[in-house]
Amino acid sequence: MEVPMRVNVSKIEKTAVFFLSLMVGILSPLGAQQSSVTSSDPGAVKIVRNYEDKLNLVGFDITNTFTLIQKKSGEADRVLQIKIYRRDSADTFTLIFQYPNSEKGKGYYRNKDDLFLYLPSTREFVYRNRKDDVGSTDVRTDLFGKASAETQYYLNLAGTATVAKWECDVVRYDAKQLDVSYPIQKWYIRRTDGLPVKVENFSASGTLLRTTYYVDYQQVAPNKYIFTKLLGVDALEKGQQTFLTNEGISTAKIPNYVFSKAFLEEQSR
Amino acid sequence: MEHFIVLAFKNVFRQKKRSFTLGVNYAVVAFILVLLMAFSHGASVNIADSLVKATAGHITITGQFAKGGKIYNGLSRTPDIVSAVTDTYGDAKVLVRYLVRSTLYFNGLSKRLSFTGIDTGKDPTFQDQAVFKNPASDGSWSGFAQDPNGVLMPQDTANYFGLKLGDQVVLSTRTRFGAFNTGILTVRGIYTTDNYFAKDLVLTHFDFLRNLDLADPTASTAVYVYFPRVENLSAKRDNIDRALKAKGFDVAVPASDTEAIAAVSAASPKYETDKEGRDRVMLKVATLDEVLGLVRTILAAVNAVGALISLVMLFIIAVSIFINLKMNINERLMEIGTMRALGVEGWRVTVLFILESVSLALVFSILGGLLAVGASALIRIGPTFPPGGNLGIFLQKGHLMLLPTLGSFISVILVIGLFAALFSFFPARKGGAIPPVAALTKTF
Repeated sequence: MEVPMRVNVSKIEKTAVFFLSLMVGILSPLGAQQSSVTSSDPGAVKIVRNYEDKLNLVGFDITNTFTLIQKKSGEADRVLQIKIYRRDSADTFTLIFQYPNSEKGKGYYRNKDDLFLYLPSTREFVYRNRKDDVGSTDVRTDLFGKASAETQYYLNLAGTATVAKWECDVVRYDAKQLDVSYPIQKWYIRRTDGLPVKVENFSASGTLLRTTYYVDYQQVAPNKYIFTKLLGVDALEKGQQTFLTNEGISTAKIPNYVFSKAFLEEQSR
Repeated sequence: MEHFIVLAFKNVFRQKKRSFTLGVNYAVVAFILVLLMAFSHGASVNIADSLVKATAGHITITGQFAKGGKIYNGLSRTPDIVSAVTDTYGDAKVLVRYLVRSTLYFNGLSKRLSFTGIDTGKDPTFQDQAVFKNPASDGSWSGFAQDPNGVLMPQDTANYFGLKLGDQVVLSTRTRFGAFNTGILTVRGIYTTDNYFAKDLVLTHFDFLRNLDLADPTASTAVYVYFPRVENLSAKRDNIDRALKAKGFDVAVPASDTEAIAAVSAASPKYETDKEGRDRVMLKVATLDEVLGLVRTILAAVNAVGALISLVMLFIIAVSIFINLKMNINERLMEIGTMRALGVEGWRVTVLFILESVSLALVFSILGGLLAVGASALIRIGPTFPPGGNLGIFLQKGHLMLLPTLGSFISVILVIGLFAALFSFFPARKGGAIPPVAALTKTF
């Protein structure tokens, strides 16, 4: 059974439909294995292209620090601090864990499709899936880089919704092939500035897996934005959520050496 | 010579205290070795039996397939594989399984578990092993078989989640293609089993797992082949390999025991990039012997430790033999002198002493060995151990399987006998070489 989303509904109806969607998604056994959608809506494509362009930081070197607070019911909060260097034009980034001390020196280095996790305890690089979760949180390593939803998904308008105080267009993503993590997604794009404020990720059978809220953005250049606050909520693991703050954002040129395994090794010493 | 043998046996107990002390050492060594070999053989038989009733066949076929530039774990064209086997061996029983590792979510808890998808109509392997203590609260096999979205939970897993009959659980897994997929299962049974290899398996339906994995209708993850007779598995495997190759499969045998073990425990398909660029199905065909190879290596290590302990004891015995025989010779100089004066050659005296030593070793090691056989029987029917404990892998219905064999018994006795002969040779030869006059005048 698919998640019913291609409707324009009132606020109450929207809430009902949303929870119904969740219930249907969660309670249905294997329903929709692969979406029957085979085309994109030009209006949706335009919206997506617009926000992708705004978030596309290709041509910039970005240095920033992520602070992730992971909350799990029944467990103490987990805090991670990660320094990030990214150069989207070269499809590369380097992540270095700075906190807690037990994780200090650990890091990721991505060069195009190759993602390596560096473990300072054994001084070895472990090859990982580029879609790896960062430090077992809800934040993923494919968060950065130039997004190109059009190539992987059919994009269609799925009504409007209000997220917090913002009126949003809802764009439904249906995977063209099942080699993406989330075959169905719903992106809520606010009408005021065309930036996404909420993303829902669904499994192939239509079950909501996680919701990401883009709480705030910072402008780094004319018509170029980067998120500064993000909340990831795990829909299956009740009570598990990750709050991410993005601070110390700089667009100053980063030395090439930073994007190397050697840099990761050096930083861990 | 038979007189010498009879005489040697009579002489064994001339110094009762001394012989008994040395004999007890022989008995202890024989006891340890026979018991160890009984453990090793029992473990090997028991593990093979349990494995075959859970996650391996006499021949297990697993593999990967390349399609569209990507390599996926698991099998494709399963019906062709099955027909290749049944065409070659009409009396073989073939079972097809789908294994997936997936996270299970229930009531705020989550855990990554191994799910085994079976065709309940064709695969009765677990039906006789799963025990439902209380059908009213623990469900039944038929309840599971009738519900295509049903699941049988091991008792420990059910306890972890606090699951009861009729509860619905959510599964979420990354499929072989990369996309996440989810499904709902209803608990139709909570079971226990004394089979170590089956006790943690979450049993569900083949089609459910294949759909969860978004796989095509010909996909599976393992094909198990069972023969009425287990002999010549390598030859049978070769014949099956030929049949599979004739149907266009790429076939290989496991390069090592570890690879064979990996073949029977493969789960959670994922893909990698294919560098060959040719669509194909690559099969790994492993025999039970190969799968058990690693187990046998571990058991050999256990045996080696036991053998080392025995070796240390045997060397202590060697020193005892040496001293014992020296003392014997010194005490029996008159006897040696008399025998030599009567015309008995020196080498016959040497043989007599060796025979005495070997007789002592044989008598007591046989006793020790028999004691080990008795102890094995007692342990086999005696204490019951918890199947989930450290000994679980060696247990059958809660009992430790110690299976002594005649071959191992005889070989232990022979080794100890030879050892006694070897270490008594030198002092005995010295005894035999004493000139009669020197022996009679006790001047040696």
